[in-house]
Amino acid sequence: MSPEHPRTDRSVSTRIGARDISRNYGLVQANNGVSFNVTPGQIHAVVGENGAGKSTLMRILQGLEKPDSGTVILNDDPVQLRDPQQAIRLGIGMVHQEFMLAPELTLLENLVLGDEPMRTIAGPIAIVDWKKALTEARALEKRAGVAIDWDRPTATAPVHIQQYVEILRLLRRGNDVLILDEPTAVLAPQQVSKLIALLKQLRDQGASIIFISHKLHEVVALADHVTIMRRGKAVASASVDELDIAAMTRHIMGDAPADPSEQARAAVVLPDARRILRVEGLCAVTLDRSQALDNISMDVFQGEIVGIAGVAGNGQEELMECLAGLRPMSSGSISLNGAELAGKENMDFRRAGIGYVSPDRAHEGLARLASIADNVMAGSQHAPAFLKGPFRNLPAVGRAARQRLADLDVRYGALSDPVSSLSGGNQQKLVFARERASKPQVLIVSQPTRGVDLNGIAAIHAILKRHCEGGGCVVLASEELDELIALCDRILVLSEGRMVGAVRNEDATPETIGKLMLASGDGLEIAHV
Amino acid sequence: MTLAAQILATTIILTTPILLAAIGGLVNRQGGIVNIALEAKMIAGAFIAIVVSSATGSWLLAVFASAALGGAIGYVFSLTITRANANMIIAGLGLNILVAGLLGFLLSRVYGTSGTLRLPDVHLLPKIFPESVSDVPLIGPVLAALDPLTLFAWLAVAALPFLLANTRLGLRLRAAGNAPQVVRSVGLREKSIQDFGTTFAGIFSGLAGAHLSLASIGLFNEGLSAGRGFIALAAFYFARNRPVGTALVCLFFGFLDASQIRLQTAGLPPKLIGTLPYLMVILGLCLAAWNTKRKLQA
Repeated sequence: MSPEHPRTDRSVSTRIGARDISRNYGLVQANNGVSFNVTPGQIHAVVGENGAGKSTLMRILQGLEKPDSGTVILNDDPVQLRDPQQAIRLGIGMVHQEFMLAPELTLLENLVLGDEPMRTIAGPIAIVDWKKALTEARALEKRAGVAIDWDRPTATAPVHIQQYVEILRLLRRGNDVLILDEPTAVLAPQQVSKLIALLKQLRDQGASIIFISHKLHEVVALADHVTIMRRGKAVASASVDELDIAAMTRHIMGDAPADPSEQARAAVVLPDARRILRVEGLCAVTLDRSQALDNISMDVFQGEIVGIAGVAGNGQEELMECLAGLRPMSSGSISLNGAELAGKENMDFRRAGIGYVSPDRAHEGLARLASIADNVMAGSQHAPAFLKGPFRNLPAVGRAARQRLADLDVRYGALSDPVSSLSGGNQQKLVFARERASKPQVLIVSQPTRGVDLNGIAAIHAILKRHCEGGGCVVLASEELDELIALCDRILVLSEGRMVGAVRNEDATPETIGKLMLASGDGLEIAHV
Repeated sequence: MTLAAQILATTIILTTPILLAAIGGLVNRQGGIVNIALEAKMIAGAFIAIVVSSATGSWLLAVFASAALGGAIGYVFSLTITRANANMIIAGLGLNILVAGLLGFLLSRVYGTSGTLRLPDVHLLPKIFPESVSDVPLIGPVLAALDPLTLFAWLAVAALPFLLANTRLGLRLRAAGNAPQVVRSVGLREKSIQDFGTTFAGIFSGLAGAHLSLASIGLFNEGLSAGRGFIALAAFYFARNRPVGTALVCLFFGFLDASQIRLQTAGLPPKLIGTLPYLMVILGLCLAAWNTKRKLQA
């Protein structure tokens, strides 16, 4: 957009790249001699497990971290990036997973923030020229092929619109290197294909796009070139035509077992399936920026995993919080084996036999600075077995903690280590170990594999299946449609706080669910329950 | 002069210091810093105003001195928060106590008094309109009471919504308060933006202090600000950072302050009446919380 930054220069062979970059954190080699090149007009995917070193590499490319050795390459020349401001000036723009938009500002305000068009009103006094800003915004909007209500407060805009605004802001400021960190995680399948179209169009205009993902079919659909990272090294780098998904998986996993989502779950529905959880006419009003829930009804039977799908922010988290007794409901009923729970508190839900795995592991799921032992024993502290008079019976607590952790194969150093010292997967397994300790019949599980590597995902899926085979049931909310399809007997779809559809496992495909996810809640019949 | 008009005139004048400090604190909070040290800058401003007014014989220089001292304290205070990463509440508490202590020390060491400082030739704030304007029906007494700082405070209230929405600094300030990581990610320095906010709050609190000592009494007393910096804090909290709403809340506190003088003459114990504004703050905060809870369960 801005004619003063004519950066796109197709004559260079490397628009951005890395040469032999290493970066250590203590004993961990996050990057170990990584090299890769992105040419002008190329979409370059960087894939790998969590912890493979992708984020470290991206942080280095943005000037947020400095490499211990090796250099960043820009326009064929080595460059020392001192700080992110310099990277921005050199045309490197990042689209973060957590969007970098101020929620209380309007979309237009966010678009121009930091590079506002000004007009003078008297002498040296200048104010922001909102008219010019809007004209620029309209032009960008046309280029991206979406309709955007620019005066809308950002927090109320749909997630995919926020993502567009973030990309458009980078284009407006002349950034022609775009780094996107798992950009499709928050989108419905149809929105993903629109984003892919936009990125391809930008590539054709000369932009260099680095695309971080762990969804290999998207990599195949979008990227020209793929670099695969494992344990801090770039283990393969090739044109997408030369690597199929199976080959990519082999490079990503090394010798580890194959993608767990392949092992689709045989529907375990007990012949005399018993209804355990019943929700009728559940409504919850909105507070702050949450989505209100409108008349939600569902049953969950013994041995069943029921999935909750929806575009992020359509009420899934709110529903899960209601089911865990963490969010007050305004009307309706939640009953467990016939006993009414409406109006009761989280503690009553827990006593009745409902366990909860929060999507926000770092804040709600765990006390991050507390020890591993305290975290896995939380909730059991009043049990007579763990008390000695008024004091904790520490030997008994330690024994029980070790037992719980061993049952779910949590890998840890010492019980007294802070829980934050564990990897994402082990943290999540610890949460399951704690929740299962009270032998709940129902597990309310929200985004259990977020930030968990492939082996951890397989372990968590196994825990969920085992829970159902043992006579329990699970309500599972996930942004990973593949996960829902692989695990769930039924998938219920929420849109704008209403239940807009239900799909049985045998009919579930990303397309059928995606279509329901994008449906507006108005006047829509529930597909089939 | 009717009783109502008289109370109204007193209300306007007593509102001014609260309003000035509240404007400063509001801008500061828009930028993401809760400034509980408005009180410190206010009392420092009140002190320096008396000293400069007496020394130079100019109310205008005195007002500038208050603004400068308030701004300077605000800037240093900001650095302790944004650069030295001090907790803003603890640092604010500390500043309030530090400034009060330093002033007490200065009074006894330099001026040889305790508590109250009377200096010769203190020039008070002038009135904007001549005395005769008080004959105008209804608003006469209010007009007659108007001084430059009061007028300035209300002009600032009127201009603030526009400035916050339409200036580069206003936009960046709001962004810094709402999402500092966003400001950083677009290549701006959010700490400098926040420093501006805290300095601005210092300047306005300094002006509030100048009004306290120079509007009518012409002397300095250690207890002069009497918690008005905290009342100002409550005002913009109530009004959720909206300038006009904040001004109305300040006006209400000014009214309580003014009617207190009336109620005293009606024979109610003055100390008890003096607690009224503070009681209202607590009541108001409870009401706001209760309202949220009610909506939640509607």
